Amino acid sequence: MDGNAWGLLLQGAWTTAWISGVSILLGVFLGLVVALLRLAKIPFLDQLLGAYISLARATPLVTLILFIFLSGPTLGINLNRSTAAIMALTLNTTAFNAEIWRSAFNNFSKEQREAAMAVGMTPWVYFRRIMLPQTVITSLPNLVNEMSFLVKGSPAIAVIGIVDLTRVTNRISAVTYDPLPPILAAGALYMAMIGLLVWGQRIAERKANRLAM
Amino acid sequence: MPEQPEVSIRNLSKSFDGIEVLRDVDLEVKSGEVVSILGSSGSGKSTLLRCINWLETPDRGEIRINGERIGLQDKTQKPMSRRELAKVRTQLGMVFQSFNLWPHLNVLRNVTEALIYVQGLKKSDAVERAMAFLHKVGMAEKAASYPATLSGGQKQRVAIARALAMQPKVMLFDEPTSALDPELVGEVLSVMKDLSSEGYTMIIVTHEMDFARNVSDQVVFLEKGIIIEKSAPEIFFHSPRSERVRRFLELDKVV
Repeated sequence: MDGNAWGLLLQGAWTTAWISGVSILLGVFLGLVVALLRLAKIPFLDQLLGAYISLARATPLVTLILFIFLSGPTLGINLNRSTAAIMALTLNTTAFNAEIWRSAFNNFSKEQREAAMAVGMTPWVYFRRIMLPQTVITSLPNLVNEMSFLVKGSPAIAVIGIVDLTRVTNRISAVTYDPLPPILAAGALYMAMIGLLVWGQRIAERKANRLAM
Repeated sequence: MPEQPEVSIRNLSKSFDGIEVLRDVDLEVKSGEVVSILGSSGSGKSTLLRCINWLETPDRGEIRINGERIGLQDKTQKPMSRRELAKVRTQLGMVFQSFNLWPHLNVLRNVTEALIYVQGLKKSDAVERAMAFLHKVGMAEKAASYPATLSGGQKQRVAIARALAMQPKVMLFDEPTSALDPELVGEVLSVMKDLSSEGYTMIIVTHEMDFARNVSDQVVFLEKGIIIEKSAPEIFFHSPRSERVRRFLELDKVV
């Protein structure tokens, strides 16, 4: 592999990283919002969100990406490829994250809630100061797991013509006729990305352990 | 005019799944009074205490703290908003059987959290007040520790400081020593005894007979959701009117 090939590879890695990164951030936040809306058990909205979660979890990523990218023009919206990819990844990961948040909230201790109510905390203050800080820590392993699934599933975005870290290896080997080196390099770069996520999780957990939880 | 009671409970009734846990309970607690609520388990005594600050919603009846209604709007009889309810609750401090400290916050922050985010105190003022109350319960040296590192007795003293720091009008204790190892009961009871001599109004659900005898002004005995005896401790422990209380006290002597 020459310098040019490495340049292409890193470009592909960057595409994978930023599209995944944006989707992860959106997905964690929107998952939290969906979980909270579902906890509020608002009629109709609750069923709607429940249906969305089942649907999003059952749809293959490639299908979802194609659907979003191709349905855009029909609805008169001109989506560029990256936006369509981010939308699809976010829709998918939000559904899984919502279930992770929801189970953490449902399992949260009733006693701590009563102590908060007894000192006159409003539900919002209780959520913000008592429940959320602890559920972030307990949900983190599952959330990071879901993040790494997203990164590993991200090659699906190549189906609408985005040249991501997997797709780019094809391009390189089409020139060099030697597919193994770029694939191995891509594998190493994926491992580096996942490693970064897991490393971040460890630091957060160590911080939590220092709090003697 | 007689003095307005600090807590007044009238016709309080509560059922769980069709089983009546409290039936037409009336109780008045005057300012500075210590009331012990006794009864065998399942008698409804914890439910009664939890109704006072609306952690359980009664089916019927009314509760007033210093004349102010809790739970329902006085005029419309409609439930209070959660914000209104939270405001009334700041007049009541509660101590739980299982301490219910917040494990992600250290001792100091367990006490300051509500001072800052409920009462709106400046952080420095909150810390100052919290340290004063931690000192009172003998936990000032542990201010930086996390709950997981404390003994049960220490946890309960922190929980007492957390409730006291809000400067409530009434303190509610729900079996505060029942989850403690026997050798740790004394430290918690001695803090509570100090509070009673300082004139705090206290309602205590307890199994500690000696404590009830020596510290309370009024002893209430609940049986199947009904108050069957309500008297001064001298009368309650020496010449109770009801046969049921006599049996309860005898059992206690045997054990």
